[in-house]
Amino acid sequence: MTDTTASTHSAGTTVVTHLHKGDSPAPEVPTEQILAVSAKEFIPLWKENLQGLVNKGMDTLTQPLFNWAGRNSLFPLHLGLACCAIEFAAGFGARWDAERFGVVPRSSPRQCDLLIINGTVTWKFSHKLITLWEQMPEPKWAIAMGNCATGGGPFRTAYSVVPGVDKLFPIDVYIAGCPPRPEAMLDGILRLERLIRERHG
Amino acid sequence: MSEMWVNMGPQHPMTHGLWNLRVKIDGELIVDVDPEIGYLHRGIEKICEYRRYNEVVTLMDRSCYVAGLAWEQLYFIAAEQALGVEVPERAEYVRTMAQELQRLASHIMWYAAYVEDLGLMSPMLYGMRDRDLVLDLFQSFTGARMTYEYMRVGGVRNDLPVGFSDRARKVMDWIEKKLVEYENLCERSDIFRKRTVGVGILKAKDCLNTGVTGPMLRAAGVARDLRRDRPYSVYSEMDFVIPTHDGADAYGRYRVRMEEMRQSIRIVRQSLDWLDRHPGRVMAEKVPRFVGTPSPPPGREEYVLARDFPKGRGLAAMEEPHGEAVAYIVNEGNEHPYRAKLRSPVFVNISAAKHYMIGYRVSDIPVIMGSVDVCLGEADR
Amino acid sequence: MTAVSSWPEALARLKAEVPDAITGESARPGVLAVLAVPAPSIRRLATWLRDEGTFSHCSLVLGIDWIDHMEVVYHLWSDALKGYLELSVTLPAEDPHVDSLGGVWGGAIWHERETWDLLGIRFDGHPDPRRLLMPEGYKFHPLRKSFELREPEELEVKSRHV
Repeated sequence: MTDTTASTHSAGTTVVTHLHKGDSPAPEVPTEQILAVSAKEFIPLWKENLQGLVNKGMDTLTQPLFNWAGRNSLFPLHLGLACCAIEFAAGFGARWDAERFGVVPRSSPRQCDLLIINGTVTWKFSHKLITLWEQMPEPKWAIAMGNCATGGGPFRTAYSVVPGVDKLFPIDVYIAGCPPRPEAMLDGILRLERLIRERHG
Repeated sequence: MSEMWVNMGPQHPMTHGLWNLRVKIDGELIVDVDPEIGYLHRGIEKICEYRRYNEVVTLMDRSCYVAGLAWEQLYFIAAEQALGVEVPERAEYVRTMAQELQRLASHIMWYAAYVEDLGLMSPMLYGMRDRDLVLDLFQSFTGARMTYEYMRVGGVRNDLPVGFSDRARKVMDWIEKKLVEYENLCERSDIFRKRTVGVGILKAKDCLNTGVTGPMLRAAGVARDLRRDRPYSVYSEMDFVIPTHDGADAYGRYRVRMEEMRQSIRIVRQSLDWLDRHPGRVMAEKVPRFVGTPSPPPGREEYVLARDFPKGRGLAAMEEPHGEAVAYIVNEGNEHPYRAKLRSPVFVNISAAKHYMIGYRVSDIPVIMGSVDVCLGEADR
Repeated sequence: MTAVSSWPEALARLKAEVPDAITGESARPGVLAVLAVPAPSIRRLATWLRDEGTFSHCSLVLGIDWIDHMEVVYHLWSDALKGYLELSVTLPAEDPHVDSLGGVWGGAIWHERETWDLLGIRFDGHPDPRRLLMPEGYKFHPLRKSFELREPEELEVKSRHV
């Protein structure tokens, strides 16, 4: 048995709420919402409200799918800065074979969702690096590989070196080492995968 | 036709580092080039002035990250000259062997990256596989794969581990066998030959004028190699030949590097033979006070010499995998250098880009620049 | 004219054919000789060394800041003599400038650009007098002794942007 109360929304839509009737007082939160619209109102309403709801619903449904697919096929930008770039390349060589984790370097920032900053960033290059970062489509992540990218490394005091690339844009994972071994790089990428799962489901 | 400037870099798969090649093109034809470097300028020469002689070694490793030991030795030859320190013979042999292993690793890295640029994927994987074997050798006596910090003023940090020479010989045999495979993969490939033969020509006259050195110069037929012309370390004891080529093109540079790898293997074997027969110390008996540890541990007092040492200047020149590298150190009697200057072969080889690039097509740019073998860490310093 | 075959012979001919080009000569291990050269005669001397003295390769150009004066050092390599020759030019601390050798050896062009960039020594007649390593518009010459390195915390990030 249900009791029906009707209320009018500001947009003019009628929302019918079903409330439980029992011994206990009625719950504050409506348990079920039904959107009731007449046929002639359907098209303008669909444009105003339903699209948003549908989009939201689709997002909730598909976001885990996209996250699952995205985190298992991170495409880093093919960008070699300094010493760590050689270990980065070795990580894609025969012995470590990073591609078995779905990590494939791409040469265009438009195709990438991961920026691995593998080396020293100078002030002269910082503008270009920010441009590269902004050219990458969302969702995107950044890994600071090695001590130079993390905090300037041995060149911290130099006049031309950015003391830590997080002065330029946010970093998700820092990898220590000068340079880190390829295993450490792979570990950093796997940690980023875990982080995406924890953060976005 | 209208001409326009195109930026290739700083982020471009062709660059193999962080630099910008501005190309003026007319259709597909290269009309003018303007290389722009400095994106990896890390102020190494300035930081050197703030560090003790031994502490500079970390910077030298990182100045050229594919040939770290070469730059370590270069710096220490100059520093030892400026400070007047004698190096034991065994240490010189260890250094020579390390040099040649480093040249091998650097050239294999070059091969892997270069051939990948030309569209052959599997040689890249083979190259990286074999380079890792050489890096394993480095790891066994320096502890690191790339940034070694192995040499010191007056010698090297530690002696070779037990069983090293057997392992090294096995790796040398393996690589010598694989070099034939590399050559078959490339030279029997029509794509490789068509893209490299006659491309990027830089004649001997232009090489001399523009200061280009290393495999580029030897591919133009000039047999200049500082290992033979101005022997340092113990290269005067070694038996090796200087490979040259008369093509002066990208293919010639490839041939010269392949032959150099064979010669490196020969030198490594000769040094290993000597090292097996001659045990001894690998560190000089007396090193100036400020160079060694400030307060020596008990029983190591012999490493400490008088506090002051003569003012001086040191000039070291050596044949690095990329060409002629020079270090010049001005010592004013302090614990750190007054001025340290490094001459990078890659710096000069890039500067001559106008001479070997104009007149070719845009699709030749990766072929030509790959054959130069750039390493921006040492070019920008 | 035959090419020189030893350094003493080259020096004797140099003194005869390019008078007043050098003011001093000293020896140091590792190089053939160190020549002190007055700034106005450097291009004349360099041309002679390239054409007659077999020094076909300019290996290195560097500057040294001695606070009260500047010094430019050239290293030349000769394939015939198998050795390096060091030329040293002393310049005043105020507005140091010297003739460019870019027209003599093409390999000197970038070394001179770098010396201008990092030490502020001008090279007259240089074909391409731009900064090389530091970006255009950078105000300092960082290898001068008056430019000191600091910990990054002491610096304002804004001031390092150019």
